Amino acid sequence: MIRFLLRRLTSSLFVLAGVSVITFWLARLIPSDVAAIYIGPRARPEQIERVREQLGLNEGLITQYLVYMRDMLAGDWGSSIATKRPVLDEILLRLPATLELIVAAMLIALPVGLVLGMLSARWQGRPIDMGVRIVSIVGVSLPAFFLGLLLQILFFRSLDVLPLSGRVDSDLRFVSPIDTVTGVYIVDAAVTGNWSALRDVAWHLILPAITLAAYPIGLISRMTRSAMLESLGKDYIRMARAYGLRERYIVSRLALRNAMVPVLTVIGLTLAYLLTGTFFVEIVFNWPGLGTFAVRSILATDYPAIMGIALFGAAAYVVINLVVDLAQAWVDPRIRLT
Amino acid sequence: MVTPPGPVSEPVLRIRDLRVRFRTPGRRVTAVSGIDLDVGQGEILGVVGETGCGKTVTGLSVLGLLPDTAEVEAAELRLLGRDLTSLTDDQWRGLRGTDVAMVFQNPTGSFNPVFTIGAQMRDVLAAHDGLKGRAAAARIHEVLTACAMPDPDRVIGSYPHQLSGGMLQRAMLALALLSRPKLLVADEPTTALDVTIAAQILELILGLQREMGFSVLFITHDLGVVRRVCSRVAVLYAGRVVETAGTADLFRAPQHPYTRGLIAAVPRTHRAAGALATIRGSVPPDPGAIVGCAFRERCELAIERCATERPELRSLVGGQRVACHVATDEAGATVAER
Amino acid sequence: MAATYNQLPSVISERPGFARRAARAIAHDWLALFGLVIIAVVVVAALIGPLLAPSPGDGAGVINVDERMLPPSLAYPFGTDWLGRDMLTRVILGARIALQVSLIVVGLAILIGVPLGAIAGYRRGWLDGLIMRITDLFLAFPPLLLAMAIVAALGPGLQNATLALVVSWWPWYARLARGLAVSLREWPFVDASRAMGIRESSIILRHIVPNSLGPIVVQATIDIGTVILAAGGLAFIGLGARPPAPDWGLMVAEGRQYILEQWWLSTFPGLAIFFTVLAFNLVGDLLLRLLDPRQED
Repeated sequence: MIRFLLRRLTSSLFVLAGVSVITFWLARLIPSDVAAIYIGPRARPEQIERVREQLGLNEGLITQYLVYMRDMLAGDWGSSIATKRPVLDEILLRLPATLELIVAAMLIALPVGLVLGMLSARWQGRPIDMGVRIVSIVGVSLPAFFLGLLLQILFFRSLDVLPLSGRVDSDLRFVSPIDTVTGVYIVDAAVTGNWSALRDVAWHLILPAITLAAYPIGLISRMTRSAMLESLGKDYIRMARAYGLRERYIVSRLALRNAMVPVLTVIGLTLAYLLTGTFFVEIVFNWPGLGTFAVRSILATDYPAIMGIALFGAAAYVVINLVVDLAQAWVDPRIRLT
Repeated sequence: MVTPPGPVSEPVLRIRDLRVRFRTPGRRVTAVSGIDLDVGQGEILGVVGETGCGKTVTGLSVLGLLPDTAEVEAAELRLLGRDLTSLTDDQWRGLRGTDVAMVFQNPTGSFNPVFTIGAQMRDVLAAHDGLKGRAAAARIHEVLTACAMPDPDRVIGSYPHQLSGGMLQRAMLALALLSRPKLLVADEPTTALDVTIAAQILELILGLQREMGFSVLFITHDLGVVRRVCSRVAVLYAGRVVETAGTADLFRAPQHPYTRGLIAAVPRTHRAAGALATIRGSVPPDPGAIVGCAFRERCELAIERCATERPELRSLVGGQRVACHVATDEAGATVAER
Repeated sequence: MAATYNQLPSVISERPGFARRAARAIAHDWLALFGLVIIAVVVVAALIGPLLAPSPGDGAGVINVDERMLPPSLAYPFGTDWLGRDMLTRVILGARIALQVSLIVVGLAILIGVPLGAIAGYRRGWLDGLIMRITDLFLAFPPLLLAMAIVAALGPGLQNATLALVVSWWPWYARLARGLAVSLREWPFVDASRAMGIRESSIILRHIVPNSLGPIVVQATIDIGTVILAAGGLAFIGLGARPPAPDWGLMVAEGRQYILEQWWLSTFPGLAIFFTVLAFNLVGDLLLRLLDPRQED
């Protein structure tokens, strides 16, 4: 298992290095003059030239890349053109909000997806199978940004039970402000016993989390169903039945564990989807997280910020894949040999 | 070769007129159309036939393992005197693995790849005897040793992919013997194994049977194996029993034309090679639709009666039973006992 | 992105009566039929939309101030927008943009990815390693993130968005094709052909390609839908088609500020995206079941 871990780690590092090359190269693709943008529109040519020297833009490409890597690893990801603050700081500042949303979405999608998939496989051909199939395919076909709008119309406009947008009510800041422990409001409120804030934050979290969870539910339930069906058809399941084991045990433990390998792959894909899906949901719900920051940076052509986010997203994905690989190896011992 | 046991009391397995049909989209396929079988106490009964003759289906029906699309009817289907035709799911679960146990053809695929051998054996013990912990471990160790497994402790902690086919088959035998069944249904246990390993497994089965006294329903297509291991044989063709006899009698003086053809078809190396003897024609696709004798089309001795009247199993003077008009006419059969 | 179909393909030529089986499968499965009907509607709208739409001028920025913000009615089934344009017309015209983008993206992704992947999988060796490393790099980015970064670098617009999507998509087909090639080259008849000395190009053309078509077609069908979703998303955040193009994603974004009162502005384009993608997913599902006997219930 250790050897497997080491193998996966080294290949992850290579991928990260490759990703950094791509983001570096993408940044160089930018047709306009970075130095000019950085200093502003009224700079004189000599000032632009000085900035260019400062930013090291006159050096060779390899040197620039090495400098880029050195800075990257030291935590200097450049400064945002829009806010003038370090990109890494900006990212880390907004990360908790996005994490709150992503985790909430996963906490909904994972159990729902797994259960629906298992039910669908167990009762194959019956009405519940058809029902789950419809839910899956609808989940996978709905654009997240559209679903968000629909939910807003339904639950805010028509039913008026849930808030429209944002993470908390703005009044809350005065009435019962949340002490920052982790930056994740729902955790902070719970940990500090701030119950009114907790309720408010939870309320705000519901619609965006559900919106974000729709596509994952579709993917996970579909893969769980097909993997479970494949597993349930195998000889070892027949042998388990031949020895009188209970059907529920056979389905939920013996068959499921075998199905988990492809399901874990899908979970990895789901997390990857969440990384960018959150952009759309955050925009629709005015959620002040990385997604909103990313979209705003893109529209403002804030290149350091964009590249920083791209690198961050890719790094997060590499970590996710590593964790998925490890989980698969833990579930299925045959994978440890690869 | 083993001498047939003397007359005993209640047979362990008693089957009369077993019929199994499968519902496929559009029509019904008959797999078994009227099988009579007895397995006495301490007896190894061989069930021999080509692929598709219904031998595996018969074996599965003894454990109730046929899929939902199967319709099973029988005048009598008794295991240890108990009627199997109207059992509930719970009742089936109670006797699987305890009174009767099945050993399958494909040892590698029959074990769950993501759990250790020991874990899978513990599951069976926990489901029936309620044995846990040290008692369970002791029992597992005991059966593995009885099955001549080298290094039982290593096997208990191993995953199926880490063991060879021969070791897995021993493990499967051990699993079958965990709860001391009275009847072992062995479905082609050596077909997937190397010749030398197969011989070891056969010896093992013989030895275990001598020691523990259980009965065996030994399903195979290999006459050589039958000769080695079985005390009595039932020959199946197209879902029907065409002949039953003590092993020695069967090979010395086969009565049914099909049996004769089978035995003649085994290539012999000590005689000069001529053309290989074959039975012309092929197995009929839907046995249930046949009027008269199923073997008629391929039989050289067929008479008019064979086309219209289905031959019943009748006893001959020597104790053999044959379902053939020609054979019983010739031998002046006594009336069939049922 | 939808999960990639990567199971062993059945040999299409060995299954007789494909058309008959297809017809029977569709008749049994009303969902698939529903999907086919919607695709037909969308294709018709894309092909002859300007002829069918009630007010074709509205797609190109005709302004009709008297008819602003009208809710759905008999005269304007989908209502009108803030410039008085007929929403039904705009939605119909949007079909062409959606299908064009997705067909180009999927088509180019296949043209680039499949040959690369097939060569990598069939030849193995250092070429395989190289191509796979490159695809791994592209696939290391979460879906759409790379596309967004590319559009950010090149500037927003439908063409750049399309290009960005092609760059993001081709690795999936390379990986799919490679997987197929790797498993197919182990098949007995391929082995036998090689042993008999048949030319490699002949083997590839007569055996590998026809047997790979199935999974690729299934993936492509589903991907047409997925690309429409992605392009819609890009347009929604302003990275795709520019106004006044009748792009569905763009329309949803434009209608968003009026969402609480004039709900029809975002709803109908959004539904158009939803039903189109749904249809392609349903048909892709149907193809999946037809081509792989193991998937049949």
